[in-house]
Amino acid sequence: MNKPDDTILNQARRSFLKTSAAGTVLASSSGLLEMALGQKDANAFPYEPYYRDDQLTTVVTSCDHNCGSRHMLVAHKKGNVIVRLSSDDGRYQAGGEFGKDTAAEPQLRACLRGRSYRLRLYSPERLLYPMMRVGERGEGKFKRVSWDEALDHIAKKMVELKTKYGPTAILDQAYAGSSYGVLHKSDQIEGLLARFLGMFGCRTNSWSVPSYQGTTFSSNMTFGTIQDGNEDDAFAHSKLIIMWGWNPAYTFHGGNTFYYMRMAKQNGCKFVVIDPQYTDSAAAYDAWWIPIKPNTDAAMLAGMAHYIFQNNLQDQAFIDKFVQGMDAGTMPEWAKDQESFKDYIMGVRDKIPKTPEWAEKICGVSAADIKKLADMYARTKPAALKASWGPGRNAYGEQYNRMAAAVQAMTGNIGILGGCAEGVGKGWHAESSAYPYDENANLWWASIKSDRWAHCVLNYPNVKREEVGCWPRDDELDGKIPNIKAIFWHGSDWFNQLTNINKEIEAIKKLELVVCSDSTITPSGLWADVLLPIATHFERHDVGLPWYKGHYYIHRPKVIEPMGESRTDFQVYTELAYRLEKLDPSLKDFGKRYNPRADRSYFQNPDATDEAYLVAWWKRVQHHQGVTMSWDEFKRRGVYKFTFDKPHVAFREQIENGVPFETASGRIEIFSTTLAQVTDWKKTQWGYPIPAIPKWIEPFEWMGHPMVKEYPFHMITPHPRHRTHSIFHNIPWLRETFEQEITINASDARRLKLVTGDMVEVWNARGKIVVPVYVTERCMPGVVVVYEGSWMDLDKQGIDRSGNPDFLTKDEPSPAGAFAYNTILVNLKKTTLAHRPGWDSQATSRSFVFRRDA
Amino acid sequence: MTNKLDMKKVKVALERKVAQTYEPAKPAMQFGFIHNNVDCIGCRACEIACKDKNGLPPGPRFRRVMYVEGGTYPDVFAYKVNMSCNHCAEPACLPTCPTGAIWKRSKDGIVDIDSSLCIGCRKCEAACPYGAPQWNPKEQIIQKCNLCVDEIDAGRNPYCVMACMMRVLDIGPIDKLWEGKFKTKAVGPHDETVRQVKNMANPELTKPSIAFVPHRKGKVKS
Repeated sequence: MNKPDDTILNQARRSFLKTSAAGTVLASSSGLLEMALGQKDANAFPYEPYYRDDQLTTVVTSCDHNCGSRHMLVAHKKGNVIVRLSSDDGRYQAGGEFGKDTAAEPQLRACLRGRSYRLRLYSPERLLYPMMRVGERGEGKFKRVSWDEALDHIAKKMVELKTKYGPTAILDQAYAGSSYGVLHKSDQIEGLLARFLGMFGCRTNSWSVPSYQGTTFSSNMTFGTIQDGNEDDAFAHSKLIIMWGWNPAYTFHGGNTFYYMRMAKQNGCKFVVIDPQYTDSAAAYDAWWIPIKPNTDAAMLAGMAHYIFQNNLQDQAFIDKFVQGMDAGTMPEWAKDQESFKDYIMGVRDKIPKTPEWAEKICGVSAADIKKLADMYARTKPAALKASWGPGRNAYGEQYNRMAAAVQAMTGNIGILGGCAEGVGKGWHAESSAYPYDENANLWWASIKSDRWAHCVLNYPNVKREEVGCWPRDDELDGKIPNIKAIFWHGSDWFNQLTNINKEIEAIKKLELVVCSDSTITPSGLWADVLLPIATHFERHDVGLPWYKGHYYIHRPKVIEPMGESRTDFQVYTELAYRLEKLDPSLKDFGKRYNPRADRSYFQNPDATDEAYLVAWWKRVQHHQGVTMSWDEFKRRGVYKFTFDKPHVAFREQIENGVPFETASGRIEIFSTTLAQVTDWKKTQWGYPIPAIPKWIEPFEWMGHPMVKEYPFHMITPHPRHRTHSIFHNIPWLRETFEQEITINASDARRLKLVTGDMVEVWNARGKIVVPVYVTERCMPGVVVVYEGSWMDLDKQGIDRSGNPDFLTKDEPSPAGAFAYNTILVNLKKTTLAHRPGWDSQATSRSFVFRRDA
Repeated sequence: MTNKLDMKKVKVALERKVAQTYEPAKPAMQFGFIHNNVDCIGCRACEIACKDKNGLPPGPRFRRVMYVEGGTYPDVFAYKVNMSCNHCAEPACLPTCPTGAIWKRSKDGIVDIDSSLCIGCRKCEAACPYGAPQWNPKEQIIQKCNLCVDEIDAGRNPYCVMACMMRVLDIGPIDKLWEGKFKTKAVGPHDETVRQVKNMANPELTKPSIAFVPHRKGKVKS
């Protein structure tokens, strides 16, 4: 690829220089003059000339990538070019002024990724024109084509595939990468693509969510909902926060979670971090760090539960009133003879009490520390045990989340301010859909575990339903293995991001159509047949919102005109629908039905239609959420912040007012009614048995497995800070703050004679990657860390030079669907093989970590 | 190659040079930064905001969040030291500049730079004990933080401060910051502020306008 063009970094400067060189000289000499006279302040700047705010147009918008937060971005533009970005400074909200930053309405300050958006918008990898593959699939050779050619090709192929292979031929692999807006929404389950393919009548759905399926399962089984999150301001009220595998310094879940936690710290809250790494969160909150062997979290939690029961520290009144199956007394009548959670913990039936000493042998945390933590948690009120998603991205990861919910419930820390029932942790519920959301939003003819697609394609038709996790249906298609012949990616880089990429590479060769809709040429895009350029959120009209925590809406006007020939995703699927209805008579009025407010001219100009959708959506917001601000005022300000009389706490209604939980029993189900009543596991989407109460189950690969002889390191693959999954990997500014590397403990490194910066190859039976080493005392011995999301870059031997850990991950999900991203054993050694941090020659360097002895 | 320098002699020489070649401007008020080394999550939003505002290519970093870590597993510690230009009372960069591109503002003590005058000799870069002047390899000039003078003159704060998600970076009159008399979210109710942290150049060299809330392992014994 090309070197980055600094006219892109600083377009204003270039164009300005041409026209006003004289002005530059004047400004400089006035600087000298000031020196001489010592009077007037200088007008100079690190580079000259410089547009001041009054020379630029200011437009409020927001970031848009796939993380749980959403922050304000303020674009300062000259004509059709964004010159710089700022963020919320308190001025824009109702009653705002510069610097306003209260606990009730804190500023929504963008993170490093958000602040780098200009480089993403103007990146050399930006996709500006429709492209079609000319070489072999994956070779990366494309030619530019017209929209007509690209869309006609896709439409023709779609009809052909549906006719020939049936309604499961197209696999929907949309994800949340390109948008979290209310109108232009790429999403795994109910985004624009899902509705398009569903109405077309050919769609295989991918049901398990890579980030948090274990957690989703747990929250649904235990509480009957994934809305188990407090709003982030509630964290300020905790006296003890246990961050289990949670690193809010990296993964921003909610607009100001990390900041409210700082308030808690100032109020005297104590912090504990359970993680194989001493994370930046552990450092910033001055936490007690408990290093733990990956994948053994459920065992440690069981040890804590044992201590609490043994010492009678549980909140028995809470248990008796709200919980099902915590102990024999709370088992439902119909299951009196079955094992309760307390039975399991105390070893009543299996004769193995899950003591802290028992747990120590599994998880590597001393029994003394397990007891100390259990005692702290049981005696401190209110205390928040935040069971984060990462430890659930394991084989049997759902058991960890279920176990954490049990410990949260036994201490009565649910539904109270300062407590925590998370879990998934989704907080306040926004009005999230302005696009047509109806019975067509999630139609499918097969639905499989997302990381089993390659297995399905490679082994079709000799695949058992439990191997791919077929979601049950009430018709003759129940259990029928999908015959996948095409993949559509929309806001998705799944080829780079799912597990066991080498297996995916084998599978994708068997497909007949691969379509990628994105604003960037992604590593997945290189394996596509057709690339469709999608306008970014700066180039289309929408409203942004956080999907996880945070109660606000941010208006996203069309800040600049779409670059190149890019179109919005809604435009593309609408136009495709119009083309398809001509080819397939059964699709009568598909275009109109897909996008009822538009006509065919939408592909040329979507502005009026998009406005109409958003106006209608805002009416719902006003009606459902008691907002009195007018749409015009919202547009003028750019942001609406909700304020609550008291912090939103999940399940407050249930605990304070006796409203039943959304489970079958109306109680917190530590003993799950649903799971206890399954008779044929093969006919469930899970495919394999899952205990009705949480249990420690040995994972496929871990530090206690005999395989450690061959592969002595357990690798974990957390979410990085300098990327959102794979998004932003190509941004030079971010690339120079962090490096793709493998973190290894100093004693392990000494044994292997490795120092920071050495190049190593890391391998197991599934693949091999090449990355530099970062040696630190902050990582547990025997554990190595490689952050997910680097853009794959294969050498001639099929070795990944970028250091993408998903060449080593296993494509075998947990029964409940949790991706086993952190269940990997590997070996590593020093190497002469080449590492390439990016596709280009752009600067990359690790910012130094200064090692200081105490 | 070179003999180990006699630091006492160097100090005397520096003092002489400062005294002889430059009589520092005495601003009516001196702005300075304050950074909380402990509560900072090290996200570097400030760095990126700065690079975006100043349109910098990869390479020069006006603001640098330095990661410090130590200890032995499992007894470890980590903290961040965040620095850009310290707008020193006696800036070492200033007298080295052969073209007078660097000067100190009289109203607020900001050490400003006009990089269009820069001839790329890099003397200021060598002179600064804190690494503030940054080499731009594309432009072949030195650039550095000017505390966003345009924002300051408009009555606002620099981009880095406004970018801080944890509210641990701020500016204020440096005297008041040192005395703990300036109200800022960067300092918590039980925090102390200091002028120097471990492994930072001696403030007596240039009298940098910066205050820190130190980590317990980052304190300098006085």
